Amino acid sequence: MNLLKGYKKYYGQKIIWYLITLFFAIVLNFVLPRLMPGDPVAGIAAGAVSGMTDATAIQKVYEEYAEKFGVNKPMIVQFGMWAGNALKGDFGVSFSQYPRTVGNIISSSIGWTLALQLPAIIVGWLLGNILGAVAAYIKGAFDKVLLPVFMFISNVPAFGMAIILLTVFGINLKWFPTSGAYGFDLIPNFSWGFISSVISHYQMPFWSIVLITIGGQAIGMRSMSIYELNADYVKYSRFLGIKDRKIVGYVFRNAMLPQITGLAMSLGTMMGGALVAEIIFSYPGIGTAMMTAVRGQDYPLLSACTLIITIMVLLANLLVEILYGVIDPRVKAAQQD
Amino acid sequence: MGKVMLEVKNLKTKYVTRLREDVYAVDGVSLKIEEGKSLGVAGESGCGKSTLALSLMGYYFPPLHYISGDIIVDGNNISGMKPDDVRRKVLGTEIAYIPQAAMNALNPTQKIIRFIEDVIHVHDPKMTKKDIYDLAKERFAILGLPEEVLQKHAVELSGGMKQRTVIAISTILSPKVLIADEPSSALDVTSQKMVIKMMRDLMDKGFIRSMIFITHELPLLYNVTDDIMVMYAGQIVEHGTAKEMVFDPLHPYTKGLMGSIIVPEEGVRENKLVAIPGTPPNLKHPPKGCRFADRCKYAAPTCMSMEIPNLEVPSQENEGYNREYRCLMSVRKIREVYENE
Amino acid sequence: MKNTLRQVFHSPKFVIGFSIFALILLTVIIYPLVVIADPLEMVGNGNFFKPGTYVSVKDAVEGTHYTLNIDVQSGSLDNKISADDKNDMKDWLVKYGGVAEADVDVNDVESLISLWETHYSPDAEQKGILASKKKYYVRLNNNLKGILEDNDLIIARENSETGELEQASTIASKEFVNTKDVANRRTFILGTDNFGRDVLTELLDATKTSLRVGLIAGVVATLIGLFLGLLSGYLGGLVDNIITFVTNLFTVIPSFILLILISYSVGQAARGVNLVATIIGLTSWTWTTRSVRSQVISLRNRDHVNLSKLSGHSMMRIVLTDILPYIASYVVMAFILQISSGILAEAQLSMLGLGPSTSTTATLGLMMNWANLYAAPLNGSWWAYFPVVIMIALISFSLNLMNTGLDQIFNPQLRD
Repeated sequence: MNLLKGYKKYYGQKIIWYLITLFFAIVLNFVLPRLMPGDPVAGIAAGAVSGMTDATAIQKVYEEYAEKFGVNKPMIVQFGMWAGNALKGDFGVSFSQYPRTVGNIISSSIGWTLALQLPAIIVGWLLGNILGAVAAYIKGAFDKVLLPVFMFISNVPAFGMAIILLTVFGINLKWFPTSGAYGFDLIPNFSWGFISSVISHYQMPFWSIVLITIGGQAIGMRSMSIYELNADYVKYSRFLGIKDRKIVGYVFRNAMLPQITGLAMSLGTMMGGALVAEIIFSYPGIGTAMMTAVRGQDYPLLSACTLIITIMVLLANLLVEILYGVIDPRVKAAQQD
Repeated sequence: MGKVMLEVKNLKTKYVTRLREDVYAVDGVSLKIEEGKSLGVAGESGCGKSTLALSLMGYYFPPLHYISGDIIVDGNNISGMKPDDVRRKVLGTEIAYIPQAAMNALNPTQKIIRFIEDVIHVHDPKMTKKDIYDLAKERFAILGLPEEVLQKHAVELSGGMKQRTVIAISTILSPKVLIADEPSSALDVTSQKMVIKMMRDLMDKGFIRSMIFITHELPLLYNVTDDIMVMYAGQIVEHGTAKEMVFDPLHPYTKGLMGSIIVPEEGVRENKLVAIPGTPPNLKHPPKGCRFADRCKYAAPTCMSMEIPNLEVPSQENEGYNREYRCLMSVRKIREVYENE
Repeated sequence: MKNTLRQVFHSPKFVIGFSIFALILLTVIIYPLVVIADPLEMVGNGNFFKPGTYVSVKDAVEGTHYTLNIDVQSGSLDNKISADDKNDMKDWLVKYGGVAEADVDVNDVESLISLWETHYSPDAEQKGILASKKKYYVRLNNNLKGILEDNDLIIARENSETGELEQASTIASKEFVNTKDVANRRTFILGTDNFGRDVLTELLDATKTSLRVGLIAGVVATLIGLFLGLLSGYLGGLVDNIITFVTNLFTVIPSFILLILISYSVGQAARGVNLVATIIGLTSWTWTTRSVRSQVISLRNRDHVNLSKLSGHSMMRIVLTDILPYIASYVVMAFILQISSGILAEAQLSMLGLGPSTSTTATLGLMMNWANLYAAPLNGSWWAYFPVVIMIALISFSLNLMNTGLDQIFNPQLRD
């Protein structure tokens, strides 16, 4: 069928486009640090071992380096080696947490980041859209109070919200623990004690991301909804006697669609902010790993973190676009032309 | 005299602007349409004709507000009804509306058939989806619209097709009165013709029992509607049969709107309107005297100061009916003045 | 132009945003003129002194004393017994003193003390108590006695000849000094930070630097965005395709990541304020490019542009006279947003430890970073980070408000 072909073409193009983007992202990840003046290997390796006292460790790092970077080979061969290793999940040994491998550190922190950010961004996005639509529909006092509040909240940086929640609910009210992802005296297992500890540690990082997301989304949704509420089809539907509840349904759906694209556009920024918020709570995710990497001059770890984040953002974007193609008939219409 | 489908008595409504100023856009309009008849309303943009269209629906929401007057549909006065009752019992079934910008009148992300289901379910919740589909299919076929349209979204339709779809949806419940606000204005010539033909089909096939057709092109109405009203600054300045209005206008404004136009082929504009110098008065503070006076080349000092009555004179073409006009000059005087030009 | 400006200043959103921003800017400019002090001077010899006025103890002792008939005991009791101590006292009273829990009110110090005096005895039977805890209660009791015994303080001076202490004066508990009499005092409205710097002075200096970062980042991003957008929109064809491709690429690859990679690669030593700002600008031009491009495309075939082309005007001239004035409002709006996102980007970068490395100036991000590293939230030093968060939020809020106001004027359909 024509339509099916249209969808296939749409998704095919999207996937190819994202693969190209991924390729460029990997190239950038590789090239940027090497574009800098001076011998990057010597610089990075020297920085890496500056805090080490263990002679065998230093020796190991240098050897690892010479092998990983293929120092004397042409750039393109170096890239091939690097990318091949990266695809296998082999990012080398961490400088700052020797002898742990980077792959090991990443795999233990990526779960925490995903489990924190994915639900938080989705919940914040949904709540924000609902509140924004309600503010646009009810107007009056609700809107007059909520709008400035949302506007201010959306301008508080994620780490700022994190630190405010930490102060109020962690330090002053002592409702939630202030750092980590579970009690420091616990060993991860499937007992109730451990899970409840995880849940209570989860609250503040989660809500600080949710609150920030709500603010921005609510403002966007509110103005989209106001725009849609004034659309001609709303007036026309009213004059055909259709009930307000149904019309609000139309408006909500139509205002929501641009919000989905907006989510795709701002996902990178949102995740960046949320990663920094992790640091405030010492949440053991990628954000905290990245900070450790910077402090420890741990180049392999940092570069793996950035690559993983890029891949996560690209994947999330692709998912949002695929979802959008299913929901918005306008995409279908465009494919049939 | 046929059964009166719609009677409007001295209807007044106003707009409230963002700056909280009142704009009296419909200021004392009366009219009457019998079953099977159609009425055209013409006037420049900003004369209040679109507001009139909205006001006639009997359902008001900001920025439009009802002031006074009666709207009687098929013997039923709806101006005293609760807004929710108007919406449930009157809109769609008794009075239906075709909006000015039909291009955007359809929800872009909804299938046409789903919208028709929503429209019908408000008034008849018991109808099954299949019945609705059959009804819509039949109606679309009679009106010359392809059945596939039902399964499409508004974004997938061309401009002319969208307009005709809107017309078909508006009339799907066979309303007693159809109010069409510039249904053909934004279209190309071919689509315009199709829309005009469709409007006439609706009357002929009995899907609507009376119609008000609003446009800024007076000549277009000839051959489309039985009667024509000309509106200026919130009031009706002249009302008569289509022929009289086109060939024998009384009010200087109607005359101005016609210019020296030879009636064109039905439903198609070929001659541009002759622009009347000057601008309409500010409806925030309507003048006391004749509203057209400061643009009228025949105006006398009394025109400015005196409230102008609505004069009725017997129609020569249509026996037993009167034509009305709002001017201080007598019919004889008017004919004399026009002849001397 | 004049008309547009008037319209702009009639938008309440814009005016509020502009006022907040102007107020911040004025404060930042005027404050250093009034308070001439090195913002990074380490005044305090220690971490996180809380906000307040600090007076010289020596001056206070040696200065004029006034006797005021005020009950000083409850005030100093409240001050000298910590909340933890009060809770421990309550614990003891309930467990071993035989007092009902409902009768003990930790917020009423005097009744707590009197309960303590009547019920506490170090020799009472205390089952299951740790030895250290038991000793703690004894110490606490002695302390309380010290506070309660209203003895005068004796100020002694060492005799330089004999080396013996001689009484110089005594201070009774009802003696006061007038803070105005104390010559050496210093007010820290927002306390001091982990380095002992005056937070207020540092904050305003940091705000100035952060605004500069935002401004530089905004200018760089806007210039690149404007240039690429104009080129791509006006020329079309292959150039447009290439620029659009690159723009889309950098829209999807998070700019935050590029920022981290570049900042890290530049190296700690080279990372000055201006360089960090430039890097931020280099990674955030995509939004401007997109909006300029779409505006230019819609302008490209307008009559006045075509007329200009037919008249043989150079591309430079057409762009400058027939296109730029029409997109100016969009560029200004984008620029405003770039400033605020630039300030935020610097702050986030600094939180990761990739901020400007300089010892001569602070930025809002660096202040946050230090406060966090020295665990200011955990030790209750709210003054070290809270004002910074509020400042970032206020700057960003005011700029966004201005942007929204402009948007409503130039895109009227968004009006509500």
